[in-house]
Amino acid sequence: MAVSAPGSDALRRARELSLAGLLGALGLLLPIGLHALGWGGKILLPMHLPLVVAAFVVGPATAASLGLIVPLLSAALTGMPPIAPPIALLMSLELAAKSGVISLLYRKLRLPMWLALPAGLVADWAVLALAAIATAGFFHISASPLKYVWAAVLLSWPGTMLQLVAAPLGVAAIERRLPRLAMERNPGRAPGDAARAAGEDREG
Amino acid sequence: MMIGRLDLYVRQDNRLHRLDPRAKLAAVAGFLAGAMFAPVRPPWALLGLVALLGAATVVARVPLRIMARRLVAVGIVVGFPLALSRLGGEMTRLAGESLAAKSLLVAASFLVLAATSKPWELLEAVSRAPLLAGFAALAQFILRGVDILAAEVTRSNLAAALRAPRASMRVRLGGLIAVSISLLGRAAARSERQGAAMALRGFDGHFPPAPARALPVYDLLWGAAFGLASLTIGVAARWI
Repeated sequence: MAVSAPGSDALRRARELSLAGLLGALGLLLPIGLHALGWGGKILLPMHLPLVVAAFVVGPATAASLGLIVPLLSAALTGMPPIAPPIALLMSLELAAKSGVISLLYRKLRLPMWLALPAGLVADWAVLALAAIATAGFFHISASPLKYVWAAVLLSWPGTMLQLVAAPLGVAAIERRLPRLAMERNPGRAPGDAARAAGEDREG
Repeated sequence: MMIGRLDLYVRQDNRLHRLDPRAKLAAVAGFLAGAMFAPVRPPWALLGLVALLGAATVVARVPLRIMARRLVAVGIVVGFPLALSRLGGEMTRLAGESLAAKSLLVAASFLVLAATSKPWELLEAVSRAPLLAGFAALAQFILRGVDILAAEVTRSNLAAALRAPRASMRVRLGGLIAVSISLLGRAAARSERQGAAMALRGFDGHFPPAPARALPVYDLLWGAAFGLASLTIGVAARWI
């Protein structure tokens, strides 16, 4: 049996999958916790937050896959969001677009977080607009998709603000524990610099 | 196991529960196609599909009150557009009725599937499809992660209850934020250990397909018969 050397692709992929699995699990549990407290899912978007954090720390393909899977898995496990009408499917596409775009911009193209996160939100709203166009066609109504997207953005502004504030904090918490993430993003930087940049403060 | 408390599985012992999950997935796929084809007016095709699903529910011995309770949320979701569609023209009303009826039918079929199959069994069945193996593997990681995180949250809750049982809401909120950030850090550290363990055990970055297992003929026949019957009802009603 071949043992992968540390730093190899297999090790990186294994770590990425484990981290994606745990953040995906948070994406399943957080909506359940908030629903139990009686806080609205459409307003706070609890499933989005862990997946946005995941998009900053895993590769684009894994981030998009995570976005695609978590709503469908939640629908299969808990019945929410519903499979039909296809809200779970719509959320899947939304989250896959958002997570994929964020990860692509942040981890592959190495753009700053303040640019990647809003770009992800725009990708999410673009998917919503496409869904609105399709729905308007199904219902034979002549409403502007922009109005629907605007209504959704207005309804979920607390969740959007939460993502803008809490996602960078979450990413910083993870990068403090895993300085290699910052090093992978900035390969030219010395390990010590990357660890300091990520604010490493491990106990002991 | 946290998953056992979250999922929609209803513990029973009958033919439908014992049926191979692949056969059940084929049956649901046929039902889904049948429901999509079936017109809303006249309603006999939809009534036929309701009868088929009702028979499956009876065979599965899933209590009707459980099905009804689980369908309430879907009813609320489709109720709003249905009510709104009444304000529009004939085409809009028809689309509203179609969305409501088909959504309820499809949701009910998925509920029967979830009530008769454990999530792990369904994932194993999905992992046999060549293009879906990677997604199924990631989903299995997520399900394992749910158990790990639920245990961490339980420990944190217990610690908070023991250390500050009468803390004010402000202190509790501060504690919640600190615990959440710490939870992310611990999850990250755990993923490092887990990843290293996987690599040491020989993980090469790819997931091998699940070992081949023949689909019993009896299960295949039942799954195919249910799916084809649903599809026939939908297509026949569309043509007639």
